[in-house]
Amino acid sequence: MDFGSFLSAPEIKIKIVTYRDIFQNKAMIEDRFGEDYRASSALIKLDPADLKQLGIKKGDTVIVKNSFGKIVVRAEESGYEAPHRGTAYMPNSPWSNSLVSDETGGKGVPRFKDITATVTTAKGEKVTELEF
Amino acid sequence: MEKDYYVCTGCGLLCDDIEVELEKNAVNKVYTACRVGVAHMKEGSRDSAFLVDGKPADEAAAIKEAALILKNAKNPLVFGLGTSTNEAQKLAIELAKKLSATLDDTSSFCLGPVVEALLQEKFKTCTLDDIRHKADVAIFWGADPSDSHPRHLSKFSYFPRGQEKQRGWEEERTAICVDIRKSHTAKICGNYFFQVPQGGDAEFIEALIAGLSGKIPKTSYNYPPKKLLELANILKGAKFGTIFVGLGLLYSLEDLGPLVRLLETLNEKAKGSFHLVPMVGHYNMRGFNENLFAETGYVNSVKFEEGAVKHGPEYSVVEALKAKAVDAALIIGSDPLSSLPRSIAKNLLEIPIITVDPCETLTSRKAKVAIRSGVSGVESGGSATRMDGVEVSFKPIVETNRPSDEEVLKKLMEAL
Repeated sequence: MDFGSFLSAPEIKIKIVTYRDIFQNKAMIEDRFGEDYRASSALIKLDPADLKQLGIKKGDTVIVKNSFGKIVVRAEESGYEAPHRGTAYMPNSPWSNSLVSDETGGKGVPRFKDITATVTTAKGEKVTELEF
Repeated sequence: MEKDYYVCTGCGLLCDDIEVELEKNAVNKVYTACRVGVAHMKEGSRDSAFLVDGKPADEAAAIKEAALILKNAKNPLVFGLGTSTNEAQKLAIELAKKLSATLDDTSSFCLGPVVEALLQEKFKTCTLDDIRHKADVAIFWGADPSDSHPRHLSKFSYFPRGQEKQRGWEEERTAICVDIRKSHTAKICGNYFFQVPQGGDAEFIEALIAGLSGKIPKTSYNYPPKKLLELANILKGAKFGTIFVGLGLLYSLEDLGPLVRLLETLNEKAKGSFHLVPMVGHYNMRGFNENLFAETGYVNSVKFEEGAVKHGPEYSVVEALKAKAVDAALIIGSDPLSSLPRSIAKNLLEIPIITVDPCETLTSRKAKVAIRSGVSGVESGGSATRMDGVEVSFKPIVETNRPSDEEVLKKLMEAL
């Protein structure tokens, strides 16, 4: 029996910044329901120290959630030289948009690049399917 | 031999030097274009498709059903059009008037305010050709053209040997990046990458203005004053400078005030002149803004009502959906179920949707009527407005049986 499954997994609070990626953009044009687009979109880039704290390896899936949504995406190391614990990066996609607040202050502009969420291990759960 | 060059409608750069090879009326090879452009130009040549309730229908039945939805709606939303030609956009404006509709495009939640300020002449601007031939300083601010507009640096802003810049980037051009992360563009800028904390742009601008004015630049996040003064000195020495404004900068500012003040200070203190160009993503978002501006005096977020036009954020796609103020949606070349926050986009599922799009999208899958149109710039021609306001005409590359956005809108108008 895996007693580890009864222990609460570490959870960290993060700020997510979204960005554009040329490979992801190309994959979207070719097939927005395809595997390439999913692989290049449904991911979160974390500081290596945050990965370690979560007890996961790069490539493992994580649950990212807040009061607006919950997604399962793949975790990667950001590769940025400067440490950025507590800040994570996601390509702009329907996955990141699942977490964007509906609070706009009546201005019509959602905070696409300023998301607060928690991350925890998904314990092998698969990446969220795109559907409504 | 005279060669045929085509225009790539893959992004707001509208590169006009593309060569293609065709095989069986499909684009087989694309030369000169970037990774995104190649994928985009190979997109065409799929079958025509009209779907009603997810089932194949003929064109007449689909148009009839779409017209019925629009007729029955009290306040329909017409949205998208960033990847439609100027001709299609003008028709959509007419259609929105006829329907007393709410009309908006993606610019209401991206670079619309910057284009609006340019059209109101609040900023000095220039063309990308001016930049290619004259510019010595380019600032990419909250923008990453290496990913979003891949040929920006090579065709216009950094690497070219322009008429007055024959020595190119090695000696005569400086590329600067201000961003919250070390993007691919930031890597190219090397030592001229200035990393600011999230939300720290307004303060960075004020500090830079102080530096340009001979004061000590201070920020609450203790950005090294020496580095800010170094940046101020480069900018002061510029003969022809441009700030390329990306979403990263715009989303970080409460309003455009700091940016207006920075441009004013630069034009006062620098050797030469400073300009601003928005990093428009969709190939004809700027066209939509200009066409609507010419018609109504507003760039987006309008509601037509009995010959009058109302404008305000409440008529933006985001607020209109959030407030559930619209009761049907005609969506042209856009996929709001993908691109809007899910918490807001989900309200679309409560109203009938008509999509006109070359691709199958999350939104088209939920549409009552889905019309698969030809890829604008590949299967149909027209004109568009580049990110810098230059109008570019283009012809179709391949023949198709799919209708263009313009043809669909014409038929919808007739059916109404």
